Amino acid sequence: MENNIIIKFQHVTKTYHDDLVLDDVSFELERGKFYTLLGPSGCGKTTILRLIAGFTEATKGEIFFDGKKVNTIPPNKRKVNTVFQDYALFPHLNVFENVAFGLRIKKFKQKIIEEKVKEALSFVNLSGYEDRDIKQMSGGQKQRVAIARAIVNEPDVILLDEPLSALDLKLRTQMQYELRELQRRLGITFVFVTHDQEEALAMSDEIFVINEGKIQQRGTPLDIYDEPINRFVADFIGESNIIKGKMIEDFLVEFVGKQFECVDQGIRANESVEIVIRPEDIEITTLEKGKIHGHVQSVLFRGVHYEIVCQDITGNEWLIHTTKKAFVGEEIGLFFTPESIHVMRLGETEEEFDLRLQSYSEDQTNE
Amino acid sequence: MVFNMERRTTPFAKMYLIAIFIILYAPIFFLIFYSFNSGGTMSHFKGFTLDWYRSLLDDKRLLIIVLNTFAIALISALIATIVGVFGALAIYSFKKRQTKNTVLSLNNILIVSPDVIMGASFLILFTIAGIHLGFMSVLLSHIAFSIPIVVLLVLPKLNEMQPSLIDAAKDLGATEWQVLTRVIFPYITPGIFAGFFMALTYSLDDFAVTFFVTGNGFSTLSVEIYSLARRGISLNINALSTVLFLFTMILIVIYYFLQQRSHVKTMGVRK
Amino acid sequence: MNNRKMRNLFMIPYALWIILFVVTPIILVAYYSFFDIEGYFSFANYKKFFTPVYLKMTLSSFWYAFLITFFSLIIAYPTALFLTRTKHKQLWLLLIIVPSWINLLLKAYAFIGIFGKYGPPNQFLEWLGIGTKQILFTDFSFIFVSVYIFIPFMILPIFNALNELPSSIMDAATDLGASKWTTFKRVIFPLTIDGVKTGCQIVFIPALSLFMLTRLIAGNRVITLGTAIEQHFLVTQDWGMGATIAVFLIIFMFIIMILTGTRKRGV
Repeated sequence: MENNIIIKFQHVTKTYHDDLVLDDVSFELERGKFYTLLGPSGCGKTTILRLIAGFTEATKGEIFFDGKKVNTIPPNKRKVNTVFQDYALFPHLNVFENVAFGLRIKKFKQKIIEEKVKEALSFVNLSGYEDRDIKQMSGGQKQRVAIARAIVNEPDVILLDEPLSALDLKLRTQMQYELRELQRRLGITFVFVTHDQEEALAMSDEIFVINEGKIQQRGTPLDIYDEPINRFVADFIGESNIIKGKMIEDFLVEFVGKQFECVDQGIRANESVEIVIRPEDIEITTLEKGKIHGHVQSVLFRGVHYEIVCQDITGNEWLIHTTKKAFVGEEIGLFFTPESIHVMRLGETEEEFDLRLQSYSEDQTNE
Repeated sequence: MVFNMERRTTPFAKMYLIAIFIILYAPIFFLIFYSFNSGGTMSHFKGFTLDWYRSLLDDKRLLIIVLNTFAIALISALIATIVGVFGALAIYSFKKRQTKNTVLSLNNILIVSPDVIMGASFLILFTIAGIHLGFMSVLLSHIAFSIPIVVLLVLPKLNEMQPSLIDAAKDLGATEWQVLTRVIFPYITPGIFAGFFMALTYSLDDFAVTFFVTGNGFSTLSVEIYSLARRGISLNINALSTVLFLFTMILIVIYYFLQQRSHVKTMGVRK
Repeated sequence: MNNRKMRNLFMIPYALWIILFVVTPIILVAYYSFFDIEGYFSFANYKKFFTPVYLKMTLSSFWYAFLITFFSLIIAYPTALFLTRTKHKQLWLLLIIVPSWINLLLKAYAFIGIFGKYGPPNQFLEWLGIGTKQILFTDFSFIFVSVYIFIPFMILPIFNALNELPSSIMDAATDLGASKWTTFKRVIFPLTIDGVKTGCQIVFIPALSLFMLTRLIAGNRVITLGTAIEQHFLVTQDWGMGATIAVFLIIFMFIIMILTGTRKRGV
């Protein structure tokens, strides 16, 4: 198991001129997986990438690569390659020479270089573009050259720093598929940095949600979407309704002045909590069937669904995604299942959260 | 482009520009015209002659001065370019803005300071240092005043380079030296060429500094022309100026050609 | 670490240059200004500078430099503006710069012939019936030739500033109802003021210290700070007084640089 770990951060802290960028971060990355570091700009995600690549040194803590401490190893000695946000292709070299750059540095024979570059270019669907000038390439093509330039060196890890942010929406979606597909074929670890949550959800084996220099939550896209640990994660990953509430007892929570059945437990009675309900988990129904009543304030047609905002009697606003239409001014009933209610404890750390989840999965097996 | 199409040059603007061009070029062609005058003055054109060019060729002293001038220009431009490029790299590598600005201000002092100040202060410097006034002192001063120009022409190229290019090269295994030779130098080559040429022209053009720091027995063209001109009109100078003008034009064409070529090569970078 | 070592290596020749040819000369000039012609330490030179002879010279030097800068600007701005509107503007610009690459001395020498007794302007005056006038060795010839020499240096920064203006800015101004003149006054000129400042700086400081032209064209009628420095260093050998004037020239230079903002020369 230990052998399967390629990168390990132990209590890594990074400060720039007294500015705390990374705050005691620890994690492990396994071989062959697609990881995404997700967070708003300035959260420290790019710093993690630069620490792995070796462009910057940790202020405190230790970084291991394949079991060896690499804190002070310069980037040219690491088996890691980066795909840069601005591609960083060398403008004075053509496509072939750009891809061959790393191989030439390592003094490979011309024949081997030709073979490898050819293979790498075909991997990214750019065969036949060898002699093109960089300036003749489109954004998406430059992107692929940058990827080819990284994979041709056969690194253990490829780091991608918001590589899709400069592309238009359609190309971006296409490149998401291609990247994921490429990672599966190559079988090497990808660490992908983005601030786009949809991109993260679509591509990753595992997501690290980062904010203010700390990892807020890590897990599979499903885990993170369904069980956000705190308000930040809930808000950052998709849209959500976050409402103040109180835990009555296990499986029973109170909000909007009513008590509802839920699936959470292990929280002290009468503890103040926050409730997350995703907009697509709310159904519009009649007043009788609705668990909560709402007054419709706006209705927006979004193509696939309607986006409806309504207000309950205590003044909370609810965002609803539904295919049913409602009218402004109408009183409607809102229905959700106990499974749709996610209870978040205020200020709970990731460890505590994991412990709690573990404890009640044990409870369930005990029963 | 649209701007050009819509705002055509008005007749007045055209006349104005033509007038400026005539005034700018008139003295030069005036000189060239009278260099063929057999009359010996710059006023009455008596007849066509090439005598002045012949006597120019016979003038061994002048020939040596011309050689001196070019030797100084080439050597000083070369050394200034090397030092200037390293200087620009050093300034580029400074992380702190304040250090950067301080060094840049020091760099620019010689560019803005009047020739007379440079000449006078270098004269004091060489006298104190015991450097014989002549070839060496002139060469050193020319190197000195060309360095900041090279820095100023190379630095923008460095600044315009995406910093990620250096990261990318390192990431692909390049050592510091390889980053320099394989990425940075190719990138800033147009700036280096521009710097070299500018240093060359500054050196060829300099009069005041050379006038101060040169001693007996060593002279450059500018100084020589000055002393000739103070003695009055001599159509030898006219012939010389024609030759120099042609030479300058050739230099310009080469420079323009080089720039065009590097422009094509790095067009993607220049936006 | 490696990076730092390499940077220090780069730094050595350049740092030596800064120390030997930038800092030391200034210190030496300041040091020499405290020695009189006999080689004794004294403030005599500074006292002498504040006598009417030198003050008058300084004032007249400033006056000439001002006139030269003013006329250069007046002529250069329209030139730059019209140049940006020509079709092959980079080529035209190059043509404007070419004369500045011809040796300065040659151009000055040409004017000795042009403004001479039998030069074209005098022949023209003769033809008009006004008769030959003394043109060479007058204030007019000095200022004319100076302006002639400095004009390309004034045009270049202004042209660059104008050239960087997006054309949409002019369209926006027109769109908002501004006339041509208002557009120029309210939009174009304020946006190119940095180019104007740079141009003035490039012209004014050398104009203060011209000495070759004063000798060749103004026939020693005009004495600028530069002429005085040259006179003291190379003719009377009074290095102390020459250095004192140089100190003041350096001070003026810094004041002008601060006033116009330190900008690089756009050559």
